[in-house]
Amino acid sequence: MTKRNLTASFRDPSGFLFHKDGELYRQVNQNYASEFDLLLSSGLYKKLTEQGRLIPHTEVSLAGIQGAYKVLHPQKVPFISYPYEWSFQQLKDAALATLAIQKRALNHGMSLKDASAYNIQFMNGKAILIDTLSFEIYQDGEPWVAYRQFCQHFLAPLALMAKRDIRLAQLLRIYIDGIPLDLASRLLPAGSWFNLNLLSHIHLHARAQKRYADVSLEQERHGRKVSKQAFLALVESLKKTIQQLQWIPSGTEWGDYYDQTNYSSKAFNWKKNLVKAWAEQVDPSLTWDIGANTGVFSREVNLPGGYVIAWDIDPAAVEKNWETVRTNKETNLLPLVLDLANPSPALGWNCQERDSFKERGPANLVLALGLVHHLAISNNLPLDRIASDMAGWGKWLIVEFIPKSDSQVQKLLRSRKDIFNSYDQVGFESAFKQYYKIHQAQPLPESERWMYFMETK
Amino acid sequence: MHFLYLDPSSGSILLQLLIAAAAGIGIAVASSWQKIKKLFKKTGKDKIKSSEDEDDEA
Repeated sequence: MTKRNLTASFRDPSGFLFHKDGELYRQVNQNYASEFDLLLSSGLYKKLTEQGRLIPHTEVSLAGIQGAYKVLHPQKVPFISYPYEWSFQQLKDAALATLAIQKRALNHGMSLKDASAYNIQFMNGKAILIDTLSFEIYQDGEPWVAYRQFCQHFLAPLALMAKRDIRLAQLLRIYIDGIPLDLASRLLPAGSWFNLNLLSHIHLHARAQKRYADVSLEQERHGRKVSKQAFLALVESLKKTIQQLQWIPSGTEWGDYYDQTNYSSKAFNWKKNLVKAWAEQVDPSLTWDIGANTGVFSREVNLPGGYVIAWDIDPAAVEKNWETVRTNKETNLLPLVLDLANPSPALGWNCQERDSFKERGPANLVLALGLVHHLAISNNLPLDRIASDMAGWGKWLIVEFIPKSDSQVQKLLRSRKDIFNSYDQVGFESAFKQYYKIHQAQPLPESERWMYFMETK
Repeated sequence: MHFLYLDPSSGSILLQLLIAAAAGIGIAVASSWQKIKKLFKKTGKDKIKSSEDEDDEA
């Protein structure tokens, strides 16, 4: 019965999100009535939802809601993810979706009043706008108020990822309103000054922000306007800038993993079939494949009606996985970047605007293939610590135990002292048995590895 | 305009006025140039794609 406003939904006076009886709703405030009516009457809502660009909703009437013009029940996004978890192409898709929506909006007499990457989520393998109240009535002559935010949330990180280092995507974790343009300007290579688009939208933009920081806009503006044609030209310019940014996913540690493992193809196929058979017993609605790489095993557990998050530490692997999702038009697989040793924390005001990795669980099924030895050896995590924390991520677990005799583990031990006295199969099983019931254990053919199927107690 | 809660930043607005004007001129020049080129091309030849339907974007 209780209504609980979402802690992240407070900035926009037009409305806000709230939970009631386990469902998510969006209240539209009275002050947004004209905008909301235009969104529908202009055909913009219909067009965008048909294209899969805007989250569809139904209007509902709920008892005890104060001050609302309407209450919307939006379609549920299967899993919430954040820009610092996206690969290069995912962020690019989100950017281009935002621009496409803005262009479409302008042709219907509306304009986006913000351009935050957090307004975009991934659903059915596509970037989609989830903030239905993001539209304002377009005033001919007025510039785009969201231009700064677009450049900080999308253009700056993409430019840095493409032109400096892919790892700079993580700056988005620190700067929750996008990367400050002066910082982006300093970090970009000198060559970016010769690119007219980057020069304008980042370098000059940063300087203009600084130059006019304490200045009255009305005075400096001298009544100048931005015509609709010029506005569309600006959007087009941003689109071209984004499209030109490229990143080739290789040269990172795990991007070429499957070319280099010591699996025989017989063992590989056996493992795939086993994982699939076990997943079918669970029939999970949400699966977390941790260390999913390019998603080979994610696609074995990708059963109809389920949703799989393919987490991996390597942006190149996530990028390749996402390319496959787009090429094959897969709708229930979402690859995301994750460093399990330092996963996405809770961010924002009072640490309550963006949910941590753990808070977005639990999943029904967790896959931990080719993973535990990294955690135990490279990360020095005791096995029972791994087991107890993993038990919080999902009810069912398919996990692979790789002993010290395996060449992959040998590699990890090569340059360090072997202090891992309890890292063996007995130690593994006794650690996990504290938190799980082991339903099945099977040795992997032509290797010394073991596959386990477990359920939390 | 009263629920434009975002701070657009004065510098961003002013830069936009500049860029938009320049880009608008650029597009006007480019589309006039396309029209001029069209006069000299035979019909049925491939034309450069103009503002495509954004459906085929990401």
